[in-house]
Amino acid sequence: MTVTSSTSRRLTPDAVQAVTFPSVRLGRRGFDEEHVRAFCDQVEAELVRLLNEKTALDEEVQRLRRRVLGIASEEDGAGYRREDAHIQAVRILSKAQQTADNYVADAQDYSRQLAQDARRHRDEILAEARSHAAVMLEEAHSEASQAAAAAMSEPPAQPPADRTELEGELAYLRTFCDVYRTHLRAYLDALLRNVEEWERAEKSSIATARAKLPIHRQLP
Amino acid sequence: MDVARLKENFARVAMHGDDVALFFYSDLFLRHPETRDMFPVSMAAQRDHLLGALARIVADVENLPELTDFLQELGRDHRKFGTVADHYEPVGASLLATLAHFSGADWSDELAADWTAAYGLVAQVMIEAAEADEKLNPACWDATVLSVQMRSFDVAVFKVATLQRLDYLPGQSVAISSELRPRVWRFYSMANAPRDNGTLEFHVRVIDGGTLSMALARSLVPGARLRLGPPVGTLVYDSWSGRDVLLVAGSTGLAPVKAIAEQISGLPAPPRTTLFFGARDAGGLYDLQDLEKMSAAAPWLTVVPCVSDDADYAGERGTLPDVVARLGVWAGHDVYIAGPSQLAVATTALLERLGVPRDRIHVEDFGWSEP
Repeated sequence: MTVTSSTSRRLTPDAVQAVTFPSVRLGRRGFDEEHVRAFCDQVEAELVRLLNEKTALDEEVQRLRRRVLGIASEEDGAGYRREDAHIQAVRILSKAQQTADNYVADAQDYSRQLAQDARRHRDEILAEARSHAAVMLEEAHSEASQAAAAAMSEPPAQPPADRTELEGELAYLRTFCDVYRTHLRAYLDALLRNVEEWERAEKSSIATARAKLPIHRQLP
Repeated sequence: MDVARLKENFARVAMHGDDVALFFYSDLFLRHPETRDMFPVSMAAQRDHLLGALARIVADVENLPELTDFLQELGRDHRKFGTVADHYEPVGASLLATLAHFSGADWSDELAADWTAAYGLVAQVMIEAAEADEKLNPACWDATVLSVQMRSFDVAVFKVATLQRLDYLPGQSVAISSELRPRVWRFYSMANAPRDNGTLEFHVRVIDGGTLSMALARSLVPGARLRLGPPVGTLVYDSWSGRDVLLVAGSTGLAPVKAIAEQISGLPAPPRTTLFFGARDAGGLYDLQDLEKMSAAAPWLTVVPCVSDDADYAGERGTLPDVVARLGVWAGHDVYIAGPSQLAVATTALLERLGVPRDRIHVEDFGWSEP
């Protein structure tokens, strides 16, 4: 483990963020890197929080100390109060900005999830279509083969050998065509219905999402 | 100016992380409310930029030539946001107030004097660079969208015309901002070499939850107005080397690579060029038709499409580094790579292993700003 700090020997949030651990050799036991990382993040956030609390307390101490020591003059007193008021205003504005940031981040997360869902949905539909097409082809093949076999085995009146073969071929192709066309039509119908359903669902989900999210009303 | 003292003070202040930038912007907006309009609604990314730039400046303070380059670039770059010389003083005042606040009892008149002097120098370099640039270029270029095409599930190609001439090198990119997402800027590469009529093409991949990419791909219509920043980027073609060329593009990394291929096609004696274009599935090869037309007319150009996640694809299958390694000897080539950073890193490492010197491998680099 290497912890380097440019300022002092004390542990800083930066150092926690930058810490690296050598990976264990294969076959040996070690901690899950993600867990360690997550813990470091937590430690870093806690350090920052403590530091900021400490700063706020230091400020408070300074302010109280000034009050206890007695304010030198009226003018100074007004100066302190103005400074305090400004810091207060900075705090309030910072909070408001963080709230806005969180709203935007939430909206982005939501849209990321929607997009990912849509992508997954699309991949599923495509995969299903592919496997369906394969099954259809297979079926058409086998039905047509049967038809061809049937045509060939029927005893025709004095047919030359190649004519029988051609008729067999013809029967195969005709059946293949019929079966495939029927299947294709049914499948396309289903697919269209699916798309329409999806569109309806998307529209209604967007409408409800709009109604739910305060961000659309509050932010330009 | 006591540099060691400045560095130590900054390190201590920087420990407060995001709160430092939060305080700085709140202080600035309270004292000068008109500056708020120069920033986007969400400031999270902006705060990271500020802290990153400050840390970089403080770290490089003794390395003046490099720091000057960085500051000049930063000064020029800020013109597109509407920054003018008058903005630097209020920013300096808020920066000082922020440093004083987080230094607490450590703050002293000496520190204040040192920081004032240091900021003065930084501001001067930035302002001078911006003013020099003002004589040559507009702050940003207004552009009108001519056409938008959705090429695949998540890639759109759009063409724009700029009002003022925009000079750039093929392979470079510009920051784009749209009224659809005010004051949000993202970098996109021009997908063509400069044309006589001045039109530019861009390829946009929709990033799930992406602020600008979704708006550009889904809501842009012909006639819409965009703003373009100045061209940046170091992925530019070295036409003097005389070596054969290997171009590697993942997804919309194709844009700068295609611009370079177009530039090569304009040379009197184009070098032998191989262009690998990779995507997850066949649908992701959104510009293949155009590339094939290009290669049909150019005997020196070979285009190799490849797909990584589709077992049914009839052409080359595998990740770009795998396919590139499988199909050729590249040690004597100049290489230009653009695409997702993971791909760029993997391909660079692979080509170095295969004996291509590092300085002949050019990778798309957007500098300090986010891509």
